[in-house]
Amino acid sequence: MSELLETRALPQEPATENVADFEASGVVIPMWRQRLGIFLHNKLANASVLFLILTVLFCFVGPHIYHTNQTNQSAALSVVWNQPPSWHHLLGTDSSGFDELGRIMYGGEYSLSLGILAGVITIVVGTIYGMISGFFGGVMDTVLMRILDALLSIPLLFLLITLISVFSRSTVFLIVIIGVTGWFGNARIIRGDALLIKKLEYSQSATAMGASKWHIIYRHVFPNSMSNIVTVATFSVADAILFLSTLGFLGLGIPAPQTDWGTMLQNGAVQQPNGYWWEIYPTALLFVLVIVAITYVGEALRDAFEVRLIKR
Amino acid sequence: MFTYVLRRLAQSLLVLIIVMLITFSLPYFEVNGIMAPAYVVLGTHATPQSIHAWGEANGMFHPYWVRFWGYLDQVFVHFNLGHSYKQNSSVWGIISTYVPRTIWLAVSSLLLTILIAIPMGIFQAERRNTKFDYAATGTAFILYGIPAFLLGILMLQFFSFSWPHLPASPPSGLAPWAMFTDPLGFILPVITLTLLSIAFLSRFMRSAVLEVLVQDYIRTAKAKGCSNTRVLFRHAFRNALGPIVIILGLYFPGLLGGAVVIESVFNYSGLGIQIVTAATTLDIPTVLGITLLVSILTLIGNLMADVVLGIVNPRIRVEGSTR
Repeated sequence: MSELLETRALPQEPATENVADFEASGVVIPMWRQRLGIFLHNKLANASVLFLILTVLFCFVGPHIYHTNQTNQSAALSVVWNQPPSWHHLLGTDSSGFDELGRIMYGGEYSLSLGILAGVITIVVGTIYGMISGFFGGVMDTVLMRILDALLSIPLLFLLITLISVFSRSTVFLIVIIGVTGWFGNARIIRGDALLIKKLEYSQSATAMGASKWHIIYRHVFPNSMSNIVTVATFSVADAILFLSTLGFLGLGIPAPQTDWGTMLQNGAVQQPNGYWWEIYPTALLFVLVIVAITYVGEALRDAFEVRLIKR
Repeated sequence: MFTYVLRRLAQSLLVLIIVMLITFSLPYFEVNGIMAPAYVVLGTHATPQSIHAWGEANGMFHPYWVRFWGYLDQVFVHFNLGHSYKQNSSVWGIISTYVPRTIWLAVSSLLLTILIAIPMGIFQAERRNTKFDYAATGTAFILYGIPAFLLGILMLQFFSFSWPHLPASPPSGLAPWAMFTDPLGFILPVITLTLLSIAFLSRFMRSAVLEVLVQDYIRTAKAKGCSNTRVLFRHAFRNALGPIVIILGLYFPGLLGGAVVIESVFNYSGLGIQIVTAATTLDIPTVLGITLLVSILTLIGNLMADVVLGIVNPRIRVEGSTR
């Protein structure tokens, strides 16, 4: 799904007022503060960041305030499965008798942490692969790009399903598998950057002054493709969370008694004809909002890194 | 043009061999390795000796490259994708039953997507930053955030349970023509798949047209008095078509991936359900066979996109040679 990125990465209206502010002050403001300024200027992005922080707090701190039993099923305790919301269970209980609100927190811990870790893997692998391919060029580039073509021609979901059937479904493997299958699109984008930057004057003059290839990658290519790396990383996290949830829905996600949002939605969907709405909608709403918020943060980050908006 | 097609064909073949190398190597990483089918055939109580004998008989102990050469020979010369020991049937037999069903689903939603998303994207680019544009962009954003299965669940809820007018599932018979004999059941799956694709394609179309609209030739066309419609469809649309064709070629695997999920939601037994079932029951030959087949379809899609692009835009043919 990373190839979707090109459509997400649309040019937005520049935040001209900000640039004017910086100019008027007449003081040289450090670049990172200018970037922060542009980012903070974007109200929607601020709201998204706030929402994401609240969600993380809800998932990781929430269980310490709202105590629920998420390990033993109800059978041993009392018959309370599929209960509608009440004061006792604020969002009702699911088909196994777990408290739904507590379940959302518990599933969120897995969805968010797995998504972030897998996203980090995709961006690290994608960056290294793309940099090497784009910067060294020639035969190396051709070979690496044909391998990438091969990987991209296998539908990502099929590849994930295949890998999960061949390996196992443990938490660590899920992170690794989503990580090693998610970087193909990222590598393409980073390669384009490396290809472009190595031809620019500052890289050329560094070469002329005798800088080694690794020095140019480390000192010039990498910092200058940072904007794309950070943006792509954000979208990668969203994609990883989406893929994890899809696997969960197909019954290939985190094995019980652990859970994630995708698995929860699948359990809820089974109860759908019975009209047990509380088993789907709260989870679905939170899930969609988290993904949309991450996407907005990514868009805002790209604007903030857009060098043309920054005055030196 | 001929050399261009030939070169792209050679490239695709190379890529296909890499794909086969990947799928062929995967079972080596499994716990039981390439001997996993032996446990299926001989049962869980098989002695190590009988397992070894089975491996010997089926050439499992040949060197890797010899086995890979045998695999290439099997696929390209005998058109045999392998044998599913779990379902006791050839993989090709399983695939040929289910492929048409998934293809119908994917192709009909792709056609619907093209019909809706392209005019929508053009319209959005033309009326950019208006209320319509914002509404369409906002919807596209939300549709990104909704995973395919969740959209399916919501569609089911609204049109099958809350407002029960549409069947929740397509007919379960295996006839490939079911879409025409009983179209009502296909409405929800096709619309769900289409909505997801529209979110993606219309956004792409919008940016492609926007990029074209700032070009000098558009200004010239306007200056010489072309009507707005003529500028849009005669000049902007044709030039924005290139990226769209590429994206459609690249999008095909994504569409099939989406079809996997849609099939599970609406309980429509096609390739998707087959691959998920095969994966959960560790039926590796079926998984690899389906993956290989879909990769080949994707490569053909990409190839066709590139050839069409080469016809539409002569620059590509020439530039391609330096790539």
